[in-house]
Amino acid sequence: MSSEHRTNNSSVDSDYTVVDVDAHYLESFENIAEYMDEPWRTRLKESGWGEIGAKQNASSYFPTSTGDRQAYGRIDREHSSYPDEPAEPDEIKASMESIGIDIQLQISHLLLPANAVRSDDQRVTQFMEGYVKYVREHILDPDEGIYGLVPVPFHDVEASLDLLKETEDDEGFIGACMIAAGARPALGNRKYDRIYELGEELDYPFVFHTGGAGLDSYDGFQSFIETHALGFLASNQAQLTSLVMEGIPEKFPELDIIFMESGVTYVPALMTRLDEEYLKRPEENPLLEKLPSDYLKEVYYGTQPLEKSANPEYLETCFNMIGADQIMYASDYPHWDYDRPTTVTDLPFLTEDDKQKILGGNALEVFDL
Amino acid sequence: MSEKVEVKPVAEFEDGDREILTVNGKSIGVIQYDGNFYALSNTCLHDCGPVCTGRVHEKMDGEYTGTGKPLDWSHNEDEIVISCPWHGWTYDLETGEHLATDDIQLPTYEVEIEDGDVYIIVE
Repeated sequence: MSSEHRTNNSSVDSDYTVVDVDAHYLESFENIAEYMDEPWRTRLKESGWGEIGAKQNASSYFPTSTGDRQAYGRIDREHSSYPDEPAEPDEIKASMESIGIDIQLQISHLLLPANAVRSDDQRVTQFMEGYVKYVREHILDPDEGIYGLVPVPFHDVEASLDLLKETEDDEGFIGACMIAAGARPALGNRKYDRIYELGEELDYPFVFHTGGAGLDSYDGFQSFIETHALGFLASNQAQLTSLVMEGIPEKFPELDIIFMESGVTYVPALMTRLDEEYLKRPEENPLLEKLPSDYLKEVYYGTQPLEKSANPEYLETCFNMIGADQIMYASDYPHWDYDRPTTVTDLPFLTEDDKQKILGGNALEVFDL
Repeated sequence: MSEKVEVKPVAEFEDGDREILTVNGKSIGVIQYDGNFYALSNTCLHDCGPVCTGRVHEKMDGEYTGTGKPLDWSHNEDEIVISCPWHGWTYDLETGEHLATDDIQLPTYEVEIEDGDVYIIVE
């Protein structure tokens, strides 16, 4: 790491257009309930889950994940009421200006554990449908650079198709989001083919965003850092493996795939692992026309949380193996491990052209902004 | 400079038989499959395993038949392959090309039949 002294308000050069492909507006459950159908609206409101969807007796709308993300009260956000109160819409612009972001893609915060639901799955669909209506009306503002992704209730393919089509003419929604943690079956399964097919037709990039549910429930692991580090990483590697090896890029070659929130060093590890196995068992995945790593080089990856503490030579090798054209800056604001654009501009091995692409150029192109 | 090396009489090969011989320090496998003869390096490009002693079989294929449908699996009788018994690296029996990538090419050798005997041409 650089020992150069910097102030905490240092920001990126204004010459860059900075696109943040992953931020989280903290909607409240009460916000969304107003847009849900009955009986779901009453069920939610009368369950006493309040604004955050959970209460002390461990009853909650979505499963909860392990540990305290805020590190026992040590994490604070100047421009967000997270996690204590639902956010106010004007927090988004204030935080964007503070961090130095021109365009931001919002992904629901409360939905991140949704796909660990294994029963009564209509509550997930209902929440996603309500979320789309709520953010369309109150949050998304293309004139201000605030865009959204349509959450896909992929456990119900028909509902997914309906929700995606419903947003087709909406300028605020510029892609889809598969909340990947806990997905059963894995997201390369043919069950989801029609969703990806429609994504291609709508020209929606598909963001795969894992979360704090499902794969982070490692029995016997004691601390948040253990389950969080493993959960996000293992989920991304699992879903990437499924998508690539089941041939989704061959079935739907125009579909842009973007993976969030595990840094970058896990990608080369998966490339070499899958190639090594594929060379030994090439007939098991007959849709592949090239090595798994070649497909992984066509996937896009959000930077956050970037492994800034890694040996720069190692990190440079990882960037080179993925390619600067495939990496997109992501903040994950206001979550506990968010990254500012300086995490990219500080990297000593990137050219100015690389930084421009990673901070915004790649996202502008992929999301057709 | 190429060298013509006698292997053994055609009549001594049963279907699926293979003969391993060493020529100029190189281990080479001569394989008879379904009436045709093939000659390949017997040194797997993965970890030097005796690839020509491995199973010869029809390639397993799976065809995409449409959105949401399962793959249509079959054995491809037009593509015969050989798998190294050590770790499974699999090559096209005729071309020596690895099934996963054409960047990996197991050396192959020309086979000649002359007066009832099998020969290979080694450079």
